[in-house]
Amino acid sequence: MALDQIVDGLSEVSCDVLVIGGGTAGPMAALKAKLKNPKADVVLLEKANVKRSGAISMGMDGLNNAVIPGYATPEQYTKEITIANDGIVDQKAVYKYAQNCYKIIEELDSFGIRFLKNENGDFAVKKVHHIGTYVLPMPNGETVKKALYRQLRRARILISNRYMATRLLKSADGRVAGAISVNTRTAEILVIKAKAVILCMGAAGRLGLPTSGYMFGTYENAANSGDGYAMAYHAGAALANLECYQINPLIKDYNGPACAYVAGPFGAYTANNEGSRFIECDYWSGQMMLEFYNELLSGKGPVFLQLKHLHEKTIEEIESTLHKVERPTRGLFQQGRGVDYRSESIEMHISEIGLCSGHSASGVFVDDNARTTVPGLYAAGDMASVPHNYMLGAFTNGSVAGIDAMEFADSHDFAAFDSAEVALERERVLAPTRREDGIPPNQVEYKTRRLVNDYLQPPKVTRKYELGMRRLAEVREDMEQRMIARNAHELLRALEVQSIMDCADMAAHASLFREESRWGLYHWRTDFPDKDNENWFCHTLLSKQDGRMTSTKRAVEPYVVPIADDEKDLYDKQRIRASA
Amino acid sequence: MPLASYQTQVPVVVDDAKCIADKGCTVCVDVCPLDVLRISDMTGKAYMAYDECWYCMPCEADCPTGAVTVNIPYLLR
Amino acid sequence: MSSPFESYDDLEDADERLQAADPAERRVAIISLGHSGDPAAVGHLANMVSDPDAGVRQQVAMALGEFDGPEAAGALAKLLVDPERIVASAAADSMAEFKDPACADIILPLVKHAHAFVRTGALRALKELRRKDAMKPALEALQDPDAAVRAQAIGVIGFLKLEEAIPALTALIQDPDAHVRRAAISALAFSQMKPAAETITRALKDGDWMVREMAADTLGLNINGALAADQLIAALADGFWQVRLKAIRSLGKMKIERAVRPIGNCVNHEQANLRKEAAAALGEIGHPDGEAFLAIIADDLDPDVRKNARWALQQIVARRAKG
Repeated sequence: MALDQIVDGLSEVSCDVLVIGGGTAGPMAALKAKLKNPKADVVLLEKANVKRSGAISMGMDGLNNAVIPGYATPEQYTKEITIANDGIVDQKAVYKYAQNCYKIIEELDSFGIRFLKNENGDFAVKKVHHIGTYVLPMPNGETVKKALYRQLRRARILISNRYMATRLLKSADGRVAGAISVNTRTAEILVIKAKAVILCMGAAGRLGLPTSGYMFGTYENAANSGDGYAMAYHAGAALANLECYQINPLIKDYNGPACAYVAGPFGAYTANNEGSRFIECDYWSGQMMLEFYNELLSGKGPVFLQLKHLHEKTIEEIESTLHKVERPTRGLFQQGRGVDYRSESIEMHISEIGLCSGHSASGVFVDDNARTTVPGLYAAGDMASVPHNYMLGAFTNGSVAGIDAMEFADSHDFAAFDSAEVALERERVLAPTRREDGIPPNQVEYKTRRLVNDYLQPPKVTRKYELGMRRLAEVREDMEQRMIARNAHELLRALEVQSIMDCADMAAHASLFREESRWGLYHWRTDFPDKDNENWFCHTLLSKQDGRMTSTKRAVEPYVVPIADDEKDLYDKQRIRASA
Repeated sequence: MPLASYQTQVPVVVDDAKCIADKGCTVCVDVCPLDVLRISDMTGKAYMAYDECWYCMPCEADCPTGAVTVNIPYLLR
Repeated sequence: MSSPFESYDDLEDADERLQAADPAERRVAIISLGHSGDPAAVGHLANMVSDPDAGVRQQVAMALGEFDGPEAAGALAKLLVDPERIVASAAADSMAEFKDPACADIILPLVKHAHAFVRTGALRALKELRRKDAMKPALEALQDPDAAVRAQAIGVIGFLKLEEAIPALTALIQDPDAHVRRAAISALAFSQMKPAAETITRALKDGDWMVREMAADTLGLNINGALAADQLIAALADGFWQVRLKAIRSLGKMKIERAVRPIGNCVNHEQANLRKEAAAALGEIGHPDGEAFLAIIADDLDPDVRKNARWALQQIVARRAKG
């Protein structure tokens, strides 16, 4: 049989709760839904394989937002996230996370996931900066996925690997009815009817093009092509603050994190070419990234992760974690370059742009129960709008989503959908396979992402955005009319390009809507260089209205943790310059 | 328009002598998040069929016989 | 189209597949049993611990790590004493994943095994099980000639958090191995009694800087840490800045007012990390005498130092306002 040969086929299954995405939030959501009602059928659908999928396919080297009693309080954490996001936060969901996450840590611990402990069995929480103590290293973090998979098998979750969901199904009255998916190795179509659906499909991490030019050398797992953002959009769900991009510091060219959070507690820091610290900002935020960006361009760059002042034995300890977990090829990369941390600093850079609430704030709008604006549809993890929730947030909010979705499924019957929609979607999905001649997906993808870099990457210039959108529209036409897929694997890539294109369009649209600058580098508009609290102290919600992309404002919910007046502009004030 | 094939040095290398894919093992093919590994019809061994690698390592880490080596893709190296 | 779901029938032809003549085929069968999540797989895996092929036994050891409970522990106990190191190492790693305290019944006898590797593995596995009857053998293991065994035994004892263990842990600060001394100091953190704090304090004069660093850090976590304030202040003159840094942090955490001057004298240190911690500690203590020192670093070249200095000044001002 030829490689990944296309097979004609369509089948249908049904379940109570369908979880799409088996990375971090998804397995937790599926597990909690099943434990809530063990008699119910829970399907976990995954584009790759649940064993090793998602942002933490190879594990994680630590938690950086652990709210552990005795070290931090939910109030303090909520305050910090609010300030780091320039106040544009619905605190209820953040506060709920902060209250629940310790229970989740204990639960993960009981699954056999290893967190660093002192010799008396207490969690060894580390301090990175003076404001909060939230870092909990995971010395055996590579066991995370293994431990989760074990729980899924034990609970008898129906796991469906190598199926990519393409569109959601809805009833006439707007309730979610299930999803359509396609097998990534055979192109067979699978329709899954469900009473409730949870989207846990990760970041839109394959949006910008990495500086190396290697399309899959992205900061996020390259499988995270923003499929969840696109699916939610086409289902009519609202997406929040998409103009608040994700940009991260990373090891130059390797495009993986340098992990200041791992090395930081040991005394390592980010420094410029003069060997001095330059980051003024305390929070992991767009403001911090702006400082990074400015330093790179100032002539004081390159920027480095500074380790060589540390003791030999300390460096050994850092290496043993950095080179084993999360991105274990990091050591191999440094070795190839001949970089020894003892004598040389690690050159850093900033990543390509992406959309990811896990590190910033852009995602499918959800409330504190992980509900989207579509009844029966939930979202959690990097693609849901709870800001800065990282891995632990994916677990915690995935858990919230799983429980609430099962309650919804228990009180609702299947929603009816129009079967003509399935036929239409099948034709749309398979269209690239029906063409004899055309453009392969890798070329369409490269061009799309190159345009994202050229025109959408901050600083955001209105004129550039207009040009970029025009060019993207041309490529979209190529994509819709002329893209070909000669086997099932190419079809997977062809479908991913469509998600990438949708995300690029949404990012551009949302960025033009917010006529101010906010969140440092993430939304730096040169035509509107100032923060405008009078008109823009609000969320923006993007959604599909009558087939058109539309943005509206949404008020920030009243705070549950009050922020004093003098703390409100702390964010601006904390840029403490030497008076000289 | 006709399509040309594109030369690329793939990052994942499989040692055929150690690989037991011909005995029914599919571990590396299963765990790859980007689904770029396949088992060859001709040799029965695993190989990298598509150069779309995130150099994330599960294929190497999970291989029961140590047959898989992940290299950094040339463009990044 | 076949079922779109992962199969839960992995055990159906397991016995036949486990008896394949080719060891590679047996390995493949073991991998699928490990992934099955089905507790019934443990029995099948246990039958394979004497397989003639070391690679197969290694695979069995890894697969058993997916399960918990005495049956899996029994099989792993046999693999932990395997003559092949790859097998024994895999067994030790898998055993360390156990959470079911009942596993301790199987593992406890291994603490007396002739080989140090086995003793180490057994103690490492016992840590998370937190069984009180592991205390006695762990205390005995503190006399073990092998340092790795002693270090693991400390963890078993520390995780139990029982005051009765303090004298034995205290004795270890004379241990010839620095790792053992460091682990013992860390384990003492839980004790509510003064002698533990005194022991940690003595370790501030240890010959190894990493032990001193651990002692300075641990005093900040111990309930009686403040009793060692003078010794921590003396540690601000330690030859290693890493030790001074932890001493500063602990003094700050415990708000030791008489430490303000000695901490203040650290603000000129060449290590920015140290200047930063000194600033933060002066803020935590909040005593007005800190102000003069903070003024020195208000314009420090390092933004983190400036930030901490400014924050510290705010704390001092706020405290003064409260009276």
